[in-house]
Amino acid sequence: MHGLFRWSSKWWPGTIPLAALWAIAAWNSTLPLETDLATRSNAALRDTVLDKARMVVAGRDVTFAADAFSEDGRRSAVASVEAVPGVRLVDDQTRLVPEAKPFVWSAERDVARATLGGSSPLPAIKNRLLEAARAGLGGVEVVDRMNLSRGAPPRFDNAALLLLDQIGKLKDGKVTLSDTKVSLSGMARDLGGREAIAAALKNLPEGFSIAANEVKAPPYVFQAYKDPVAVTVTLTGYVPDNNVHAAIVTTAGRKFLREKVVDNLKASVGAPAGFANAVVPALGALARLSTGTLVVSDREVKLSGDALYEAAAVQIRAGLGKDFPQGWQFKPEISVRPPAAPVDASVCQQLFADLLAKGKIRFESGRATIDPDSMALLDRLVETAMRCSTVNIEIAGHTDADGEAAFNQDLSERRAQAVTEYLVKAGLAANRFTPIGYGSTQPLGSNDTDEGKAQNRRIDFVVRKGE
Amino acid sequence: MTYLATFHWGWLLASLLLGLAMGWIAVVHRGQGVSKTTARWLAGLAAALVAASLTHVVPGRFGYWLDLGLILFALYLAGCAVGSWLRDRALSRPRA
Repeated sequence: MHGLFRWSSKWWPGTIPLAALWAIAAWNSTLPLETDLATRSNAALRDTVLDKARMVVAGRDVTFAADAFSEDGRRSAVASVEAVPGVRLVDDQTRLVPEAKPFVWSAERDVARATLGGSSPLPAIKNRLLEAARAGLGGVEVVDRMNLSRGAPPRFDNAALLLLDQIGKLKDGKVTLSDTKVSLSGMARDLGGREAIAAALKNLPEGFSIAANEVKAPPYVFQAYKDPVAVTVTLTGYVPDNNVHAAIVTTAGRKFLREKVVDNLKASVGAPAGFANAVVPALGALARLSTGTLVVSDREVKLSGDALYEAAAVQIRAGLGKDFPQGWQFKPEISVRPPAAPVDASVCQQLFADLLAKGKIRFESGRATIDPDSMALLDRLVETAMRCSTVNIEIAGHTDADGEAAFNQDLSERRAQAVTEYLVKAGLAANRFTPIGYGSTQPLGSNDTDEGKAQNRRIDFVVRKGE
Repeated sequence: MTYLATFHWGWLLASLLLGLAMGWIAVVHRGQGVSKTTARWLAGLAAALVAASLTHVVPGRFGYWLDLGLILFALYLAGCAVGSWLRDRALSRPRA
């Protein structure tokens, strides 16, 4: 032992080559060592979910900065780096991903671009949302403006994916998810888009609710154009379903006196409530015009055209809106057609006969109330009566032979009276008209067949010359 | 430590061999040795460096270089001790 101390005093010369060796070793090994430690530290973190992970190795010391998504995840990430063999010190610069409160996520789109913004809980979910957006909005550029944040509500990803589906149904608009509240705005791509979105939103995951749904649909348009030259009424636009479609076409056939109904209607969802109840009376009003256009756009009914005489224009302007369901608006733009040239008594009789050959004044069965479907015909009769303002006219009521003669007599009188009242209300002088009931005494056809009976139930206009 | 040993075994072996050679020579060397006072100072310095290394007070690359130097030095000393002991035995055996 004593020898060892003695010899050791002479060991010092070897430290000079040792120092050289040390210098060479330090020079050559530092960079490979740092690279090796960095590689193995990163490998240790491969299964840990982190954002913005950054690793700087100096010697054997690692500076480790990252955003973790939970306190446990953060600690375990630091521990994994510390456990890497060869790492001496870890400078822990990790932190938690900031918590978003409220947790807001949004998706906005226009024709060419979709932007996902706000907060997303995890990188994997963020990527899934981006992929879903790219797949669901084919051909549209998807821009990612999402940050990663903590504090997402449970089942956030399911809700966000469902909402991304909905944004595909919009032409432009925005969907916002604020904590568990969903707000939507924008314009649906198709007529039924708004309803389709509302239906899909019923499948939102539990706990999520709709704060605002302001998705608008393109206007639901129905149009009818009465063309007096082609003698047609053209129906275009949308109807809710085939039943309403058939009902509207049938109604148009009844209300329009001479015009052929050209049916270009298409069935589509998204009709405003009360659609048929508004369109049917509006078609009746259009039938009374000499020429006109009916445009029903959502709940706004616009009727423009020329009435046959002033009183009809007043009636349509004031009366039509009252027939509409609640919430509907009526915008009449009715003018009055200039009066036609006066005619003499024989032409007048001919015009009455022509009109009554094309259509009949109808009444409710067994009563003297005029069927509203006959308004168009009555307006034409009024107009004709105005053209021969000097002649007096007998309004003759006839019935078929069904029922008691006394009842028929009375009914024919009351019906003739009702027509006279209509003419007087239209502004004609009451003393020009003589309502007369003939009961079933002057049949035109056989009272044994339905056709004959229908022929016999009628109102005739007879011009009395020279009175 | 294990990591450093596996990563740097070549350099460590070199310093051990250097130590062995120096130890071998030192037994028969006639030159001036280090005085006791200087030896104490040097031992103190070495202890201080070891303490610095163990407490990790030297940061980054300098810390690594310190560790590396101390390991090389430790193996050098071990080599010296073994070398001197072997030389001493080699010298004493023929006499006996």
